[in-house]
Amino acid sequence: MNKTTKISENDLMNAQETTERSSRRDFFKKTAAYSVSALAAASVLSPVKVNASDDPAIIEEQPWATALGDPVTKNQYGVPSLYEHNNIRRTSNLLSSGNWQASISMCPIHESEGIITPNGLFFNRVHGGVAHIDPNKHRLMIHGLVEKPIVLTMDQLKRYPSVTRIHFIECPANGGPEWRGPQFNSLQFAKGMMSSAQWTGVYIKTILKDLGLKPEAQWMLAEGGDSSHMGRTVPIDKVLDDAMIVWGQNGEALRPEQGYPIRLLLPGWEGNLCVKWLCRLEFASEPFYAKEETAKYTALKPDGKAIQHFYPLEVNSVITNPCPEKPWTDLKKGDLVEISGLAWSGQGTIEGVDISFDGGKNWVEASLNGLVLPKSWTRFSYLYKYEGKPLLLSSRARDDAGYVQPSVKQEREVMGVESVYHRNAIATWEVTEKGEVNNVQILS
Amino acid sequence: MFKFYPKSFMSTVLIAASTSTIAFAAQEGVSNTYENGKRVIDGGVMYPVVNGKTSAYHINEETLKGGYTYGKKATDNEIKAWDIDVMPDGTGLPEGSGTVEEGDEVYEAKCVSCHGDFGSGSGMYPSLAKGNAEEGVASLTHQRVNPDADGPIRVFGTYWPQASTLWWYIKTGMPHAAPMSLTDDEVYALCAYMLSINEITIDGEELDDEYELDREKFLKIRMPNKDGFVPNIDGPKGTDNVREYFSNPKNYGAATTRCMKDCFEGEPVLARIQTEINDFSPPLSTARELPKTDASAAPVSEGAKIYEASCAVCHATDAMGAPALGDKKAWEAVLKKGIDTVYNNAMMGINAMPPKGGNANLTDDQLKATVDYMIDQSK
Repeated sequence: MNKTTKISENDLMNAQETTERSSRRDFFKKTAAYSVSALAAASVLSPVKVNASDDPAIIEEQPWATALGDPVTKNQYGVPSLYEHNNIRRTSNLLSSGNWQASISMCPIHESEGIITPNGLFFNRVHGGVAHIDPNKHRLMIHGLVEKPIVLTMDQLKRYPSVTRIHFIECPANGGPEWRGPQFNSLQFAKGMMSSAQWTGVYIKTILKDLGLKPEAQWMLAEGGDSSHMGRTVPIDKVLDDAMIVWGQNGEALRPEQGYPIRLLLPGWEGNLCVKWLCRLEFASEPFYAKEETAKYTALKPDGKAIQHFYPLEVNSVITNPCPEKPWTDLKKGDLVEISGLAWSGQGTIEGVDISFDGGKNWVEASLNGLVLPKSWTRFSYLYKYEGKPLLLSSRARDDAGYVQPSVKQEREVMGVESVYHRNAIATWEVTEKGEVNNVQILS
Repeated sequence: MFKFYPKSFMSTVLIAASTSTIAFAAQEGVSNTYENGKRVIDGGVMYPVVNGKTSAYHINEETLKGGYTYGKKATDNEIKAWDIDVMPDGTGLPEGSGTVEEGDEVYEAKCVSCHGDFGSGSGMYPSLAKGNAEEGVASLTHQRVNPDADGPIRVFGTYWPQASTLWWYIKTGMPHAAPMSLTDDEVYALCAYMLSINEITIDGEELDDEYELDREKFLKIRMPNKDGFVPNIDGPKGTDNVREYFSNPKNYGAATTRCMKDCFEGEPVLARIQTEINDFSPPLSTARELPKTDASAAPVSEGAKIYEASCAVCHATDAMGAPALGDKKAWEAVLKKGIDTVYNNAMMGINAMPPKGGNANLTDDQLKATVDYMIDQSK
């Protein structure tokens, strides 16, 4: 009935416009008609008897449907809907290192769609604050064991032929606070030290072609020009494979938080190795022993020896729907629901993902969903008939390098609980009868 | 042209009939070796260019052949100005000297507010020493499986493999809010102090207050945990050692078996959250609603800028014992002393806080503006 009323009103508008189209006084009449209809929209409607089963969102006229929106001149750089203001990065004192300039903010991966993180939501790890570099004064120096040491301006660097690749970047401490047991009832904090983007830049091997790399060069130091002057040593093998210097992030310049104007990108390897605000590459025959590859970012094993130069993020996955932030409390028995999540491997391409409903005792294979690319987030999907029973929901990914995600028990047997970094054990959510979701670990 | 995996290159131990070892499917365009025949260094695979594509990506192979003439030759002065790293063999380590006592003085003036007395640490800032370093190395086998157990001691003396890292890091990264501000002699002095509080000897000699560290002595330092890291990355076989290490999944906890059925005995052993951490900022919410307050951006005041540059290091959280920005209660307590006292304390320093928060360049007006900003933000 209401619908009929609405149609009548539209018909009225159309009729008015049609009859007046040829009139010389078109403009004035139309303006008047628009104004009147905007002001009087509600009163034009005939009274409606609203039933309890009627959705007010449909019955009531909404303000955005009865008045003009913003002009195109507003927000020359667009911003998300105000209603999305909770989809943001978050921090915790536990991860603050004492201040917010040597700290990390977590990506809201529970709200992530697809395999790309919007630039404003990309997780942010910095060691000396976010530097704001003038690109006109930024230089990239390449020296050491090369015949021809060079300096490039940003304009010159961008003259090299570019490549564009989709890769995740993950902090190797992602999940690290939970070696000794679950601590965060939140996907954002349990696994949010990672994000993914489409990066544009140049292969370092392309630049090196003309610089005369000396055969004794085994290592490359990459150093940032921010206040932390952070350096990391990279083996030449990676430099000559897929290492990139990137300036583009999802179709625009890198954000300052990601190292504007340029950062190193080592696909699949520790986020910390992907040095931001990159200003210097030095080639040498011996490793450099920087602070962030000795004091930190080394994984202590139970025998007291620590793994150094632990580069790749191993095969990993997590169910993002449901999760503690996105529970199943609105489902009723018999509903079909999609279990979905993210799988990724820094050592290759995701081959498949298995799902378990009993904490990893028995597994079924899920489908991959969407693009499947090397060293990239990959979506998986499993359709499930909800029965309102408690579940222990786990995912387990495998990659084309031959690796399978280990159980917590398997990983602890080798790495113990003091490693801090590179935790990739199977993650499990406890789903209660009510559909609430809790972070747990299975030690079997 | 590229070597592919043998059908099952890894352990083929089958745990149960329903368990399979993942064998690498020898697809074209995926390789576990580089073009030079060497195994991929991280234990993973690479994607050679085949028929104009690397994995799913098309590529213009012409662009990989070189022939570019961009940039200019780096001059010796430019390289000298930027080549700030210090290597274990002394490359990059300048001449200079400083005594333990001089290091103590610099430490008290510029380091103690974050790192505590004798490097004991404070708040979330790291400790620099925990007793005798040689003895502390034994703690590295500690595993905190039980909540009360002592963990491994990972301070400079017990953990770091090379002293050169310390010199490099202090020179280029410390003090945290004013990197590159220390002279070479001050860095030598601070290194001497660090060795002293970690009870590390050089050539068998203990570092007493008068001990003067210089370049020659520095290169004789042998760190107690030098051999505590795997794989061995030194020498001409460095990268090959790394390659070999990561080609064995057993070294770093990677798994290669895929069990589908009855993967463990009995009911699953469940670990739940014991001590939940939920001090999230802002608090978690997935509500789609208009924000409570209109965050209309006020222009950034000078006080706010100075706060971010110089004060946030200690005042961003209460971890340092300083009143945190936005902590209403803490600032009410501070303001009970009267605003003049608060200004004066900021000027002269109080407790762990050095005069003017360590930023001697601030004018009185700038300092007042900063204090006003912090008070204003904490109402």
